[in-house]
Amino acid sequence: MRYNEKELQALSRQPAELAAELGMRGPKKGSVVKRRLVKLVVNFLFYFRTDEAEPVGALLLERCRVAREEPSNFSISFIEDPERKYYFECCSEEQCEEWTEALRRASYEFMRRSLIFYRKEIQKMTGKVCAELGGAGVVLQAQLMTRLPRRTPWSSLAYPRRPGSS
Amino acid sequence: MKLNERSVAHYALSDSPADHTGFLRTWGGPGTPPTPSGTGRRCWFVLKGNLLFSFESREGRAPLSLVVLEGCTVELAEAPAPEEFAFAICFDAPGVRPHLLAADGPAAQEAWVKALSRASFGYMRLVVRELESQLQDARQSLALHRHSSWKAISSRCKPQAPDCWSQVLENGHSLPRDCNPTGLVEEGGSRSAGRGLAEWELQGPASILLGRGQSPVSPETSCFSTLHNWYGQEIVELRQGWQQRARGESPDCAGLPLS
Repeated sequence: MRYNEKELQALSRQPAELAAELGMRGPKKGSVVKRRLVKLVVNFLFYFRTDEAEPVGALLLERCRVAREEPSNFSISFIEDPERKYYFECCSEEQCEEWTEALRRASYEFMRRSLIFYRKEIQKMTGKVCAELGGAGVVLQAQLMTRLPRRTPWSSLAYPRRPGSS
Repeated sequence: MKLNERSVAHYALSDSPADHTGFLRTWGGPGTPPTPSGTGRRCWFVLKGNLLFSFESREGRAPLSLVVLEGCTVELAEAPAPEEFAFAICFDAPGVRPHLLAADGPAAQEAWVKALSRASFGYMRLVVRELESQLQDARQSLALHRHSSWKAISSRCKPQAPDCWSQVLENGHSLPRDCNPTGLVEEGGSRSAGRGLAEWELQGPASILLGRGQSPVSPETSCFSTLHNWYGQEIVELRQGWQQRARGESPDCAGLPLS
């Protein structure tokens, strides 16, 4: 599969959701733990040798499973091969918790499910459809992006506007 | 740079929803000149989130290429040869050549440009946050609405304690701002960390919210009876307190005098 490495390298330089030096072990049998600078950017996990500017590699985080391993380690595996795990060693339980939380939310699919969930909840509460979803995708109307400033409860979706009120 | 290509290809072929699909002519690829020329190669393109895959055909078993749609803009473009309906994915990063693509017609061109412009992770995050805040607004309005209905009902049914009720309801909890779905997702996520197996397909706020018990602050559920019971607990306690105080204050209620 062809892809432009420069696109990924540029992405790896973008502001990260999380970045830390962790111990990392690849999925191959017999691999050893190495210190890597691990950086979470959108739905990619980049890992760098600690003294290098370009990443050694990247993991796309769609359809992955993040699991806690012992008190302060976690693993990432992918749905098509759950036994093939990338291991990460953290310095504390708190750091491990932070990473597993962030990684679980770091997929486009997760956001898509959030979107569908919120839309359904809003529809249930207000009886109104607030955004258009085209087919399986998300094609929003332009008005969503030019939304008015945060509304007070009296002017929210649940209430029709009272005549004469501001 | 290494990439988990097998997993990426698996994702491309999986039944996860595609945001847009269609045939496009593409230039570039191994053995092609740096400047696009000719009519290009017709491939089947699949857009999933911020990833644009191409296949030899609709039945392709492996993606030919991947474009990561972050840090880029989509612009209408001039195609080489007399082809119309072209557009280009242009990257901010230096040294990254634009991807030139051409659709079969003006409608397809417009649809693709729109879909690709909205494909970034950041855009999706904005949209989710927008809906999150709309849901918060809706919940707060609903909570206020329910408070005022209970107030009306209580003053009709319980004439001896309307002040008690209204005081409770005013001091009562409106759904607090900090108890938002994101917060719950985070909490729920930490709970699921303790479970033996994470669910593949159910990772997401829906399952987390359904799987957890009551929130310590207020039940983040649209089930009215749960909300009713939860709000009711405090009211029941206060009523009991009020009744006890009423008995204590009145000498008539001190019990039968011993004869």
